[in-house]
Amino acid sequence: MSERTDIPKPEGEYFESERFGGLSILLALVAFVAIVLSVVGAVIDTTQFAHSWLFAFAVFFTLCAGCFFWAIVHFAVDAEWTVVVRRQLENIAVLMLPLAILFIPVLVLRHHLYEWMNTPVGADPVLDSKRQYLNWNFFLIRAICFFLFWIVASQLLRRLSILQDKDGNPAFTLKLRKLAFVSLPLFAFCLTFGACDWLMSLNYKWFSTMWGVYIFAGAAGSSMSLLVLVITALRKAGYLKDVVTLEHYHIMGKWMLAFSVFWAYIGFSQYMLIWYANIPEETQYFIARNTESWWYLSLLLVLGRFFIAFGILLMRFVKKNPGELAGIAIWIICMQILDMYIIVLPALHGTGVHVSVWDFTSLIAIGATLAFIYLRIVGRSSMFPVRDPRLIESLKLVN
Amino acid sequence: MANESTFPEVIAEEASSSPEARIQRQPLVLNKRNFSWITERITGVVEQRAPRWWWVTFTFTATIASIGLFCLGYQISTGVGTWGLNHPVGWAWDITNFVFWIGIGHAGTLISAILYLLRQKWRTSINRSAEAMTLFAVMCAAIFPGIHVGRVWMAWYLAPLPNNYGIWPNFRSPLMWDVFAVSTYFTVSVLFWYTGLVPDLATLRDRSTTKIKKFLFGIFALGWRGGNRQWRHYEMAYLLLAGLSTPLVLSVHSVVSFDFATSVLPTWHTTIFPPYFVAGAIFGGFAMVLTLMLPARAIFKLHDVITPAHVDKMAKIILLTGSFVAYAYAMEFFMAWYSGNQYERFAFYNRVLGPYWWYWWVGMFFCNFISPQLFWFRWCRRNVFVVYFVCMCVNAGMWYERFIIIVGGLHRDFLPSSWGIFHATWVDIWTFIGTLGIFTSLFLLFVRFLPLIAMSEVKIVVPEADPHYDVDLASHHPVGAGGMERNQ
Repeated sequence: MSERTDIPKPEGEYFESERFGGLSILLALVAFVAIVLSVVGAVIDTTQFAHSWLFAFAVFFTLCAGCFFWAIVHFAVDAEWTVVVRRQLENIAVLMLPLAILFIPVLVLRHHLYEWMNTPVGADPVLDSKRQYLNWNFFLIRAICFFLFWIVASQLLRRLSILQDKDGNPAFTLKLRKLAFVSLPLFAFCLTFGACDWLMSLNYKWFSTMWGVYIFAGAAGSSMSLLVLVITALRKAGYLKDVVTLEHYHIMGKWMLAFSVFWAYIGFSQYMLIWYANIPEETQYFIARNTESWWYLSLLLVLGRFFIAFGILLMRFVKKNPGELAGIAIWIICMQILDMYIIVLPALHGTGVHVSVWDFTSLIAIGATLAFIYLRIVGRSSMFPVRDPRLIESLKLVN
Repeated sequence: MANESTFPEVIAEEASSSPEARIQRQPLVLNKRNFSWITERITGVVEQRAPRWWWVTFTFTATIASIGLFCLGYQISTGVGTWGLNHPVGWAWDITNFVFWIGIGHAGTLISAILYLLRQKWRTSINRSAEAMTLFAVMCAAIFPGIHVGRVWMAWYLAPLPNNYGIWPNFRSPLMWDVFAVSTYFTVSVLFWYTGLVPDLATLRDRSTTKIKKFLFGIFALGWRGGNRQWRHYEMAYLLLAGLSTPLVLSVHSVVSFDFATSVLPTWHTTIFPPYFVAGAIFGGFAMVLTLMLPARAIFKLHDVITPAHVDKMAKIILLTGSFVAYAYAMEFFMAWYSGNQYERFAFYNRVLGPYWWYWWVGMFFCNFISPQLFWFRWCRRNVFVVYFVCMCVNAGMWYERFIIIVGGLHRDFLPSSWGIFHATWVDIWTFIGTLGIFTSLFLLFVRFLPLIAMSEVKIVVPEADPHYDVDLASHHPVGAGGMERNQ
């Protein structure tokens, strides 16, 4: 591709919230109804609801954490292509604050989720040997610390970035770079132990050193897909037309491809090593997910998250076609939902898939709430960092 | 934004530290060197007579290599009993050396393939040497699985033979997968390295002063004329090879990690092993690239091509991969404790406080975890002595790490009455030192006979290579601003 000559002037583009007032009201309405239904679910079918809510929380948590990851990586590696899409990553990352509030039902309904919280001391020596870690107080403190980090870091990230919109001072880039360097190890720490606490400890007897990396692999790939969807939706609404080009789509598509492969690599390694060694305390996790009707969903995950996504994303024309890339992005997010479903629900329905209405209400409740808040946030700043020192490089991007 | 007022405090800060200067992209070739300078400086290494230091160093390394080859001969003719292997430690220096060398071999392909796909143009200054280093490291690595089978003349059983030979390779054995992974990696790495060499070989051919050199370089340059069509084919081939090599970077060390992780031994069997080994390999590989390139840069005066920014970036990769390795160490300890399994817990307790405690504290903890933390600081990444110190720590640390994993996992097995300590024999030690000699000798030969920096690729990243390069605006144009000086 030859170099662009139609570079837009960096004045910024602003989302007209009033234009989408109807959508906002609709989302608020849907969120309200779904939350009311969820409260009903929590009362009449508590255990099922608790699992459904945790599943839905895990889906959106991984998406937001992934967007936070991409935003800090941008600064840590001093990238240029991400500049034009970075503001949307920041807007999604700050949804960690409402997510922390939406995590409260998990804390309240903990006894319905985590067997170790109900097992008395002395009943299981294996559990007793790790009670210094698996106990309610420490669990709560950890959750607070993890969310505190994500909330503070994501807010700082977005605020400093917006401050730079005013004068384009490169000092903000340097500050953000420092923030990114500090955030990267903390992100790894919080994501790993968050994943261990909230998902792995559903079965306290099971463990895998790969767990944090596995959750990260899914989060990074699906959040890049979410970014593609958000950018495509904004472009459909008439924004970012001259800013985000097919070259940016191409790169986003390449990262989706890379993380489809990485997810498969991590997932395969974890599965194969546990299968090969065949140690009962490790295989129990996969036996539950490879038997009864769970087998079909597990198979679909392997085919869908890797083989189908990989085969399609390998083609360049797909990555350079926003419509087609958005289609595959929806598919990958569906697979991420399936992945979280297979992680959480077999802990309750070991005998086979049992789809519940609360699975859907939880997903809609959290999703609509976050989408509503996102629409409120997106209009508060320019849709891309207007005076980022690397903006011109990003606009001139050629693959 | 309608309101464009700026913040006074921001302006004050800007004036004091000049962030504008700090976020500027650094040029990849310093001092505005032009095409001619690059060609002269790099081919000069090959074309001039071998300096005295080269002969002295080569004699020394070749002697060590010969001792290593003697040890190999002695071990093959006498038997594996010449090594210190005994019950319960059935794998020790042999497999440690194998994993060590295979790991070293990862940086080359990472630099040439993955960084190429990521459009990291700074790779051009170091990819050629790193790839050569990869090949030599894989050669050294391949020695050990071959000889550790004991009867080396039966090693061909590992090859995928037709069934009518009546030999049924055990396809479920990770050692078998190793053969496939390493041989594929080596083959693709050679192809990749050679493909990249073709334009530079043509340059050497065209500059040759003797008929023999012209003939030999001419054969290997495959008739390269630098035409438009040739470049198009070349770039497509290079891209395809980069795409093929990328999964290989991940797969080779993952398969090596399966050698251990498919077992049921505590400290060997853990699911994080594949990415942990890959990160460790890149970590060790980059340390070795710097170990070789920093002296080469000083000797051949290549500071304008391998700039402080290059060293800085490599140091950052060492910090990143070192941090992932530290993450894996931490996860191993945490999950061993969290599992509640007494054998897992004991194995890790034994790693830190058992007979090999100092290997862990010095090798893994200090060399691999603490020393790269210096690279958080810019002045450390910019100080070649600090960089060299860290790289030497990492080189040693990665060998120790493999030793601790292998011997540490074996020496105290499930039956306390059979516990033992491994004692290396002189054959063990000199075989390993011998491979260091083989590796450095091969690298010295490479430096002597082939361009150690990819000239054609470095030329692509200088400003003059840009089709939009403005001759009039650039005050440093060779004709306009005293180009003769720039050639010196």
